[in-house]
Order: sequence, then C-alpha cells, then structure tokens
Amino acid sequence: MSLYKIKDVAELNRHLYAAMQLEHATIPVYLTALYSIVPGTNSEGYHILRAVAVEEMLHLTLVCNLVNAVGGRPNLSQPGFTPNYPCYLPDGEEDFSVSLQRFSPDAIETFLKIERPATLGPHESSKRHRKRKKGLLAAGHTGEEEHFFSIGEFYKAIETGLDDLYAEMGEALFCGDPALQVGPEYYYSGGGGLIKVHDMASAKQALDLIAEQGEGITENIFDSDGEIAHYYRFQQLILGRYYVEGDRHDHPTGNKVPVDWNAVYPIKTNAKVADMPEGSGVRAAVEAFNLGYSQYLALLTRAFNGEPALLVDAVGVMFNLKELTYQMMRQTIGDGSGTHAAPTFEINLP
Amino acid sequence: MTVQGMDPFTIAPDQVASMYFDAVVIGSGVSGALIAKSLGQKGLKVLVVEAGSGNDITVADYEENVFRFYGAANKDNNSAYANPRNAPMPRDFETVRLHDGQINDHGYLVQKGPFEIDSTYTRVLGGTTRHWEGKALRMLPDDFRMFSLFGHGRDWPISYDSLEPFYRMAEGELGVSGDVEDQKYGGLTFGDDGYVLPMHKMPASFLDQVLARDIDGMQIELADQTFSLNIRTTPQARNGIPNKKYAKGTGFVPNGAVSVDQAVMGERCQGNTNCVPICPVQAKYDARRTLVQAISTGNVILLARTVASKVLVDATTGDVTGIEAKTYDHPDQPGHTTRVFKARTYVLAANAVENARLMLASGLPGKSGMMGRNLMDHGYLLTWALMPEPIGVMRGPVCTSGIEDIRTGNYRSKMAAVRFSIHNDGWGWATGGPYTDLFDAVDRDNLFGADLRQGLIDTVARQVLIDCMIEIPADPGNRVTVDPRYTDQMGNMRPVISFQLPQYTLETVAYSRRLTKQIYQRVGAQDHSSYDPMAPGWVTHNGEGYVVRGGNHWAGTHLMGATATDSVVNDRQQSWEHANLYLAGAGSMPTIGTANTTLTLAAICLRTADDIAARMTATAPAVGA
Repeated sequence: MSLYKIKDVAELNRHLYAAMQLEHATIPVYLTALYSIVPGTNSEGYHILRAVAVEEMLHLTLVCNLVNAVGGRPNLSQPGFTPNYPCYLPDGEEDFSVSLQRFSPDAIETFLKIERPATLGPHESSKRHRKRKKGLLAAGHTGEEEHFFSIGEFYKAIETGLDDLYAEMGEALFCGDPALQVGPEYYYSGGGGLIKVHDMASAKQALDLIAEQGEGITENIFDSDGEIAHYYRFQQLILGRYYVEGDRHDHPTGNKVPVDWNAVYPIKTNAKVADMPEGSGVRAAVEAFNLGYSQYLALLTRAFNGEPALLVDAVGVMFNLKELTYQMMRQTIGDGSGTHAAPTFEINLP
Repeated sequence: MTVQGMDPFTIAPDQVASMYFDAVVIGSGVSGALIAKSLGQKGLKVLVVEAGSGNDITVADYEENVFRFYGAANKDNNSAYANPRNAPMPRDFETVRLHDGQINDHGYLVQKGPFEIDSTYTRVLGGTTRHWEGKALRMLPDDFRMFSLFGHGRDWPISYDSLEPFYRMAEGELGVSGDVEDQKYGGLTFGDDGYVLPMHKMPASFLDQVLARDIDGMQIELADQTFSLNIRTTPQARNGIPNKKYAKGTGFVPNGAVSVDQAVMGERCQGNTNCVPICPVQAKYDARRTLVQAISTGNVILLARTVASKVLVDATTGDVTGIEAKTYDHPDQPGHTTRVFKARTYVLAANAVENARLMLASGLPGKSGMMGRNLMDHGYLLTWALMPEPIGVMRGPVCTSGIEDIRTGNYRSKMAAVRFSIHNDGWGWATGGPYTDLFDAVDRDNLFGADLRQGLIDTVARQVLIDCMIEIPADPGNRVTVDPRYTDQMGNMRPVISFQLPQYTLETVAYSRRLTKQIYQRVGAQDHSSYDPMAPGWVTHNGEGYVVRGGNHWAGTHLMGATATDSVVNDRQQSWEHANLYLAGAGSMPTIGTANTTLTLAAICLRTADDIAARMTATAPAVGA
C-alpha cells in the first residue's frame, strides 16, 4: 500500500486527472486487441474484451463525474492526456508497461497485470520502482513521489484523500455544478451504471463501482451484482473456461472458452504514423483515425462539461473509428515485413 | 442488465417424460415464454417444448446466426437461422405465382392459393420474435368492436379498456421504447396517471424529419371525415434510453443480451438496420430473454429439438391427457424418439399456423369445425421512391416513424383500415436493394471505381419506401388445413394454406397507392413503385394491378369469442371443448386491426397466465414422479 496522502483540493484534482488518464489509457490498449480479432472468430474473446473496454468507458465517465463534483473541469484534449504507447500506467505502476498490440497470450498477460487485485501482489511490490526504463513515457502522472502497485491502491489513496478533505471542508468539498453530472440514462451494459456524484456517499459509490468492476479490491470473482471482475474475465481466456458462482480462484468450471490466437490480424505492436509509407492508403487511414480520435476526445470533453447528450453522437463517431481501424488492420503496413497497420493513437502529443 | 440463466440442457428427455408438470407449454416463442415465466414465478412447474435446436444461449451461438445472415446471398427474414429438416420453417422465396388451381408444395407451407402469401415464421428458440422487427403498437379500441361498429370482421369478447393494464405489463416485459404523447390518436388511451413507456422513443430518423416537413398537417378527406396526417414515432421493443419517469419514477432497467455465460452485454440500438432478421447487438427484444428469466425461476424446464405431434384427448371428458412429441437427434438426419409429456394443463403456443396444424393433425377440428379457419395476416402494399436529396438510408432501426392518423374512421364500413411505416432501410423489402442496386450499377450502368461508389450514393442514399399495412378481416374460408399427402421428414403433416384477399382489403390497396402517390408528389420524390404481374401476391382491382406481400402476422386460427358455437377459445384463450387446454397467441385474436400482433398477443397471454395460475392454485399441485 502506498503511504502517499492527498493534502488539498488541488492535489485531489491532480489525482483525479491521473485517474481519468488511467481509465482512458487502457481503452486504446483494449480496443486495439479487440479489433485485431478477425470478425466472426473468437466470439468469446471478442465479447469479454469488449465488455471490459466498455466498462473502462464507464469508469472514465464516473471519474469525470467525481471531477465535476469537486469543481474541477474534465479535459480529455489536454496535450499528453493520451499516452504515447508503450507507456507505464499513470498511477505509477512501473513493473510493467502497456502496449498497443494484437489479441495474444502476451496481451492478456499485460491485461491481467493492469487489472490485478491489490491483494494479489507480492509484499515487496509496494517498493517504489523509481528507475524508469528509457524510452518509456509515463502516461501523465500523479507526481514523482507516488507509485502504486495496483489501480486498487491508487483509488484507495483517492478515497482516503476525499475522507481527509471532507473532514476538513465538509459539504464545501462538493461545490461542483450538479448540471454537469452524467446520469445513468447514458450508460448501458451488464452490470452497474452511471452514478451522479454530489456528496460523500455517491462519491464512494462511484469509487467502489470502479474498484469492484476493475481488479476487484475484495478479491471476489463476482461483485455484489453478480458481475465478474475484469481480472477474472481475462483469466477465463487463458484458463479456457468461464467462471461460475462458487468457483475458486484460478479454477473456473463453467462452459469452455475456445480461443483461436491465429484468427487475429498480425498488426504491428505500437505502430506509429512514421512507420507507414508516405502517401500510402494506410497512412491516410491512420492519420484520419488520429484526427477522428482527437475530435472524439474533444466531443467527450464537451459532453463532460455540460452537454451530456453528445455522448449519443459519440457512438456514431466510434463506428467510424472502428471502420477505419478495420481498414488499417486488413492491410499490410507496406514495409515488406508482412505486419499489418493499426491505429497509433498519436493524439495531442505534448 | 444481462439476462443470465442456467444451461437448460442438463435434463434428459426420458426424465422429462417421467415427470408430471403443472403445465406443458408447446413453443418457446413470446406467448409460451411469457406464460412459462409467469407460471414459474408463481411456483408452478412448467415444461416448455421447442421444435428448434435450442442452441441459442451463448455468445457463440448468437454470433453464428449473425454471421449466417451476413454470409447469406438471399437475406430473407429467416436467413439468420439454421433450417432443420426435422422442424422446417417457411421461407418467403418459396412462394411462387400460382395459376388456376395450382398447388405449391415446394416449401414447408403448402400453398393452395388463390392468393400466394409469402409470410413466414421462425422455428427456433424464442420463435418468430427472433426475426421480428420489434414494432410494438397497441390495437385501437375500435379494433375490438369491429363488427358492431363497421359491420366487418368480428368483435372481441373483451374490450380495449379491460386489456389496457395487460398492455402496460406487456410493454414492460418486452421493454418498449416510445413516446406516449405520439400515440394519442384513434381513441388510444393510456390511463390518466401519467403513464410513460419503459424507454424513451427511438429518435426519428433524418428521413422521418425530412418527410415531416412536407407531410405534417396534410389534410385528406375520407368517407366524409377530414384527417390531418402527421409523422409519428413508432413504439418498438428495442433498447433505448430508459425513462426515469417509468413506473411512477422508479425507472426501468433494460434487459440486455441473453447468455448463459457472462460474456456479452447487449446494447442499446445503434441503428444497424438489420433488425430483421437479427440485431447484431441484441438491442431488439426476443423471447429468449423472457425464457431465460423463466428458467431462472428454477421451475421451468426447456426441452428443445422436440416437435409436438399429437394432442391426446380423453374421448369421454374431452380433457387432454398428454402431448405426444418427437425428439430428434440430428437437425437434418432422420431418427427420432416419440414420448408423451404430461401435465395438469396444456398450453399450445406454437403460433397461429402451428397450433391449428397440431390440433388438426391430432384429429381435433372441433365440433364447430372452426379450428384453422379465419386465418388472418396483414396485407402489405409496398411503395417506393427516390427523394430529391440523400436522406441517410441504412441508419437506424428499420422504421422509426409512421402515419397512424387513419388507422380508424367511418371509412372502415367500406374499406379496410391502414397504417403506414416509413422505412430507413431503403428499397430492400421491395427490390432486394441495396444488393440489386449494386448489380444494376455494375451490369446495367457499367459503373466502376469512384463512379460506382458515387453512383450508389446517388441512388441508394435517396431511397424511401413507405409500406401500407392493410387489415384483412377474419374469413372462415381463409384457413389452415392438413393433408396426409403433405408431410415433413418426421412424418408430421405440414400446414396447408388457403387464402384470398377480400374486396374490402383490395379497396384499401388501391386507395393506399393513390395516397402514397400524393405523398411522394408533396415531398418532391420520384415514384418508382412498380408491380410485376408474374410475382406472387399479384392482385388486380378496378383494372389496376398490385403486388401485396404478407406481413408474417399470422392470426385467427383458433379465435376467441363469447360462445362455444362461434369460436374456439374463450376470452382467456381456454379451449371451449378441452377444459385443460389453452391455445395461446395471435391465433386467438378475432381481429388484428393495424397493429403488429406481438404486443397484443403478449397482453392476452399475460392475462391467460393469471387465469391458469388461478385455476391451479384452486386445486392440488402437481407431484413429480
């Protein structure tokens, strides 16, 4: 457990911004793996991955609600908001980096690290990994001194910070405009839902939902709604079976989860615009994607700043982005290596 | 939330045959699923028998259907589903033009004509709701009193008002998106307590909005009445944005995808436009949702791959003593085992055609001889045109709006009722577009490259199709029969269909063509409607020819009435002649007005479930053997 303590609202906002970055940073990673699956194959893998990606979008929205609740202004277009992959996660976990890569056992191993439960970590993991590998950028960060072993620990620190600040400030902490909150009507999925944040209770509810759906702070495979935590969802792909209620860790006993690691586009890991030949169709598609994605983030920023109905429009934009992604992934990069193109997510680089 | 349930295939047919149930339900479609769920929730033990494979409870199963549809050259409304030889289903392309006295026995339905009807149904888990479009319109109060008011068709033994609470329940079960304010026409009422539908309306498409600019407020004269036409959004059983005001402010939690595993979520409608035959994201309601909830009560067992073949009746009391059914091993290869399933009460919920087929094949035409008679459907006249500008075809569900203002009126004493749907999916239903548009662009117009792409945009993106849904009242001559000469692979007799369109309906066919011409003129569209005399469904009226298509809204074969002499079931869908037998579904409806049948049949089945449960609890419960 990190010993770091949040001392004022400015620090809280800095942590919440890091939380936004963190939730968002996983989305390009999951989407790249998701869309690398050849359509019509790996239905289980596709849907498991998709469910997690969608819940990360829910978490991002919940964090934005938190930001708005304490009077911050969510901005997804700020330079550096989208990481330059590969990168460390913005909560300071530095024993692994995340990459834009195809659906593969290697990718799933990384996803398991992203979603690992706080309690599954070796004790020494709380040691700070201060030495950064060269060439790896942290995707924005909370501050030099803070490093957390897991997303769970990171959110625990935010929760403690909220408690401390609330003890100090009382209701004045939640000074945000309630009209900026995004409500449950804009979210859809298996479990959970959007929570409007306006006081300590709703703030904790939102944080609990993120933690429960994510790596599962409680170490339970299923959360209180009967939903499987992300860590265990991904594990099903490696272990080849679905978890059912009553299963022990690492021993799912449900239906089989068939996985075909070969029915995947052989995309380049952490592709960059510069990898694509100038003037080529794939380069145009990659550039169109990056432009489209930055417009998408700008649209979300507006949605989180008082125009929530734009979230519906954003769905249409996602369709275009998906189509562009498939266009890229079906084509070789054109450098003679035989690897295929992929979105690069080089957006508003600092 | 995701609808989760247990794997229903854990029970062997032999074990099922050794049990005694409170109810055996034949068919896992919307009627059977709603009744099974309701009874199961009340603690009653229910067996649901399904003719299809039943393999539709995992992500992989569902996607197999989606991709079967993607890959199908002919995208008819059953193209997403495997068509097992042991439980075949009708396909619209099997319908052919019949000439004097000709019989078409090439498909599963044997068509005797004279009108060739291209309607189908789907024999899979969840029944025809798997391919339905999802329109969830209520019938109008006038539709329940059609004979009294207009001298055509029949009256219902129950009124709209007595069914209204069940309409609300059905809208909740199916998860209907819509705006009640848009539904206040033709005498429709929704109580006075501020009722809202579970979810907000599907947004009107751009096409709807463009048409509304010129159509809203258009005045027409019809049988001494003046109507003002308006484009109104259509309520539909498709997931949208939940309405916070639903259920007096408690809101609505939509049911999402069906899966026994927690892998898929089910989404709100994203406008993929292939609602028929399958929604790729499970936004559309289908009866598997209800069925899996039924199974989750722990009181409902599903037995798939099993085709009911005979209703066994005690000759003295008239009571049903069991239902004989054939369980097949392989969907296509011969080989099955016949067993008898027993219960206190039996519910046939296999759809209007199959219910009648089963009763007639069991030698039970009824003392009145009415079983299978009064077969109904909607007749559809399709009209299509090119708008002056691109209007964003192929976005949104198949239809988001329609014209409802003349669904009833004095004119119904002279001609049939009609409503109109505006299609967001271009000319597909009429011409096979956009695929045929591509063939035309390449083969006829010799386009390629950028010109081909632009050429398709210039045509497809401007397509508008308005369907005219026209009432066909009950007529004893329109019927389902069976004939031992026509059997399927398992030896079950196939349905034989005799059908004719009355002048009453043809009058409206002609009227609808005239009105849609006016509409297209008003919006500046080029009318491209044309009707091929060699096509099935060709009819003529006053020297003009039209092609009328079926609506897949089979109804009326065991219709309900006030007395045993003029109907097959009572207002609770209970057989007059077999006290422990219910015939459930659209077959019980004496009229179908101008509403797609599903919402109304759901309402009457919920009412029936209450009745069955009330009778059950009055007597001793079933004892498992």
